[in-house]
Amino acid sequence: MFGFLGMTYEFKWSVLWAQPHLTWLINGVLTSLRLALISWCIAVLLGIIFGAMRTAPFRPIRAIATCYVEFFRNVPLLVWLFFWYFGAPEVFPEVIRQWFIRHGIEFWSAVAAISVYHGSRFAEVIRAGIQAIPKTQLEAGLSSGLSVFETYRLIIIPIALRLIVPPATNESLNLLKNTSLAMTIGVAELTFAARQIETYTAKAVEALTSAAFIYLVLCLSISSVMNWIEAKFAIPGLIARGTRAEH
Amino acid sequence: MKRFGLALLLTLLVLGLAGNAFAQGATLEKIKNSGVFTVGVRNGSPPFSFINKQNERAGFSNDLAALVHKGIEEKVGKQIKMEMKESSPATRIPLLTSMSVDLITETMTDTRARRDSIDFSLTFFMTGADFIVKKGSPIKGAKDIAGKRIGTQQGSTNERILREKYSKAELVTLPDQAAAFMALQQGKLDAYCNDAIQLWGLKYKSATPDQWEVVGDWISYEPYGMAMRKNDSDFRAAVNNALMEAIEGGEYFKLYEKWFGPKSDVPYPMSQAFKTFLLSQVVPK
Repeated sequence: MFGFLGMTYEFKWSVLWAQPHLTWLINGVLTSLRLALISWCIAVLLGIIFGAMRTAPFRPIRAIATCYVEFFRNVPLLVWLFFWYFGAPEVFPEVIRQWFIRHGIEFWSAVAAISVYHGSRFAEVIRAGIQAIPKTQLEAGLSSGLSVFETYRLIIIPIALRLIVPPATNESLNLLKNTSLAMTIGVAELTFAARQIETYTAKAVEALTSAAFIYLVLCLSISSVMNWIEAKFAIPGLIARGTRAEH
Repeated sequence: MKRFGLALLLTLLVLGLAGNAFAQGATLEKIKNSGVFTVGVRNGSPPFSFINKQNERAGFSNDLAALVHKGIEEKVGKQIKMEMKESSPATRIPLLTSMSVDLITETMTDTRARRDSIDFSLTFFMTGADFIVKKGSPIKGAKDIAGKRIGTQQGSTNERILREKYSKAELVTLPDQAAAFMALQQGKLDAYCNDAIQLWGLKYKSATPDQWEVVGDWISYEPYGMAMRKNDSDFRAAVNNALMEAIEGGEYFKLYEKWFGPKSDVPYPMSQAFKTFLLSQVVPK
């Protein structure tokens, strides 16, 4: 293979399941998933809170949420990772700092960076969902005696969450893929494991192909779950699916 | 798209042919014919090979390469131009095999695995992995690192040794020296492990050199050699002869004094063992 380039590359896929490489890969996948899952939960929560706040009929609340979104989404995630690892822990009291250092500070810094960054992006997705709902829904809710908070909780957000499944899927996939950046602050996730196999065996193609394939499988599973959720929770008659617009 | 594919294929073919046109061996011939001797160096590995504050290439390895250059000029009997090219751990072997450079100097550790694909000169520097710690740290060497947070550089030989031989230490693998030292300064690491000479460099370059201590007695052995294409014994002999003459004639020790002496940026006294080893690499005339 590639012999005509004057180089010979011998494929040796068995490096992937030779020990301890397989254990590294499995631990890498588990760390990636744990990182993605915890970050996703926090990011979605932040997204719902700030996304709703950005549409609130009260200016100071909107301003706070806008500040959060613009501040966190406009700085590259890599910079946030360094900030949360090298910068943020330094302002905590020594006792808390030491506790974090002894309990996986790399992992929790990555969780903070990814969830806060993606939270700001989820907030925009959710704002778009809320603003797609006609104003009359809010007015109807208010006139039926619900408070603003109740109208949001019972009417606006449940509908918005359904509207935003496709863009939210997109964001979730981005979040999963962005966990690979955590290797820059020493989190031994999937890309880290693949690079490690590469340095030990000099089999770059095999190691990186395995990482690429695993990411692909993970992302495809997430999007199929999200498609299932979209179909399962669809409100009949609310959104036209697969039908042609009548003009 | 089709045309792009064709262009790509043609480029690859041309590259492949060009690669084959220069068969292995006969580096001296190539240098003589082209009048150029190309050396692979580094931008950022002080004090071995780096770009200094005056924006010039400098370093211990670069100066040794200049001595080799002189030796080659004598050998081929004409003036040769020396060119320097940036190389890195990832590119240095391909640079050699593709004929882009004739010699790699910088900080390359001679290993048996690497000898499968390239040849090395005699050893011109010797170091080993140690630990840098805050002054007064309980860590005095590899025996004290169990359960401690030890920093290493991604993809380094040191990381591998720690993982294999000292599995009780908690390894924190960071992308580069700057990140690792920052984490050490912030107390996120108990020690940082790298080649001793690089740790001494870190210590002297830090804002507070007195606060840091380099401890341990080499958990690894890293002999630096100059790398060249395999199976070219004429060229290899020319490089080795130049190094032997430099050791025998004392130029080597002058350069050592310049880069590692008490007045240098990275004072690193030469051990008696290393001096004996260097001198015994010089075979009789």
